[in-house]
Amino acid sequence: MTSRSKTLRAVTLVLRIALGVVFVYAAWTKLRTPWELFAMEVDSYQLLPLKLVELVARTLPWFELFVGLLLMTGFWLRTTAAATALLLAAFFTLMVRAYAKGMEIPCGCFGANDIISWKTLLRDGSLLAAALALTVLSFRQRRKAPPTGSLKNA
Amino acid sequence: MGLLFLWPAMAAMNDIDPDKTAGNPAAPVTIEVFSDFQCPACKGFHERTLPQLEREFVATGKVFLVYREFPLAVHAHSREAANYAVAAARLSLYRPVADALFRDQIAWSANGKVWDTVASVLTLSQQKKVKAGADDASVLGEIMRDVNAGNGVRITSTPTLVVSRGTTRYPISGTLNYEFLKSLIDDLSK
Repeated sequence: MTSRSKTLRAVTLVLRIALGVVFVYAAWTKLRTPWELFAMEVDSYQLLPLKLVELVARTLPWFELFVGLLLMTGFWLRTTAAATALLLAAFFTLMVRAYAKGMEIPCGCFGANDIISWKTLLRDGSLLAAALALTVLSFRQRRKAPPTGSLKNA
Repeated sequence: MGLLFLWPAMAAMNDIDPDKTAGNPAAPVTIEVFSDFQCPACKGFHERTLPQLEREFVATGKVFLVYREFPLAVHAHSREAANYAVAAARLSLYRPVADALFRDQIAWSANGKVWDTVASVLTLSQQKKVKAGADDASVLGEIMRDVNAGNGVRITSTPTLVVSRGTTRYPISGTLNYEFLKSLIDDLSK
């Protein structure tokens, strides 16, 4: 293994652990409080009917927890990294939309009173960049991995 | 020992002005409403959500309501409006003055004539007392305590509700959907 590929592996490890911790923390901040609080934050975006808001509020924190644990353990990394990037891209798009419309609403990211601002956009934009980088790295590493048994056959 | 655990909530509630409350203080759920008289979302909350809340939960003894001032620096006349409202609370006239301030919000926000709106719901003798009381140190101190209480729960926008049951407090801001608020209160009341 070259030093470059060692570095890329280390970067991948750091990214997936960091994103995993962030997702588990985000899930915990929602699951430790009544679901209605997160529902009101989701409803603040004024995008979904109430029934769907309730569904999102009751299920999304569990999905975040699941994704976070998968990232931390490294199972199905390419799929999980791609799903994380898609999820964060969706969150980021919704936040940018709300900010552009001048809506003073909580972002619903990490518990109460996290009002959307340039700071929250910068934070979530950085997370999205990290998830995209992790996705690219996980696919590249898969492509570069030697085929099973290649040493035996050499 | 139990007092030690209750202390943060008790300290937060010690500064309540009894003239700015509604309902039974022994109700299972307390809701503190941090509001700014010049904020359009607060007008919406005051005129649409608050009456429902008062009818369904305050009148039935499930919720104890506490009104708190949180004048935002971005609003030029918020502080003046809060001063008059708290001074009116000394005469047990907080609610009529608050109702009038929200009713005429668009007008006085534009022309700055806050006092005209306040005076419109007071008698001449009440006007004198409220005018004098608006600069009183105790009134200004009470508003400062409300702002500090809001800062204590990291409020950055209005209206924000702090819903509490015992020592557990949940700050809520945003669109404050009544259906979810109702469900939350019902869950906490059990």
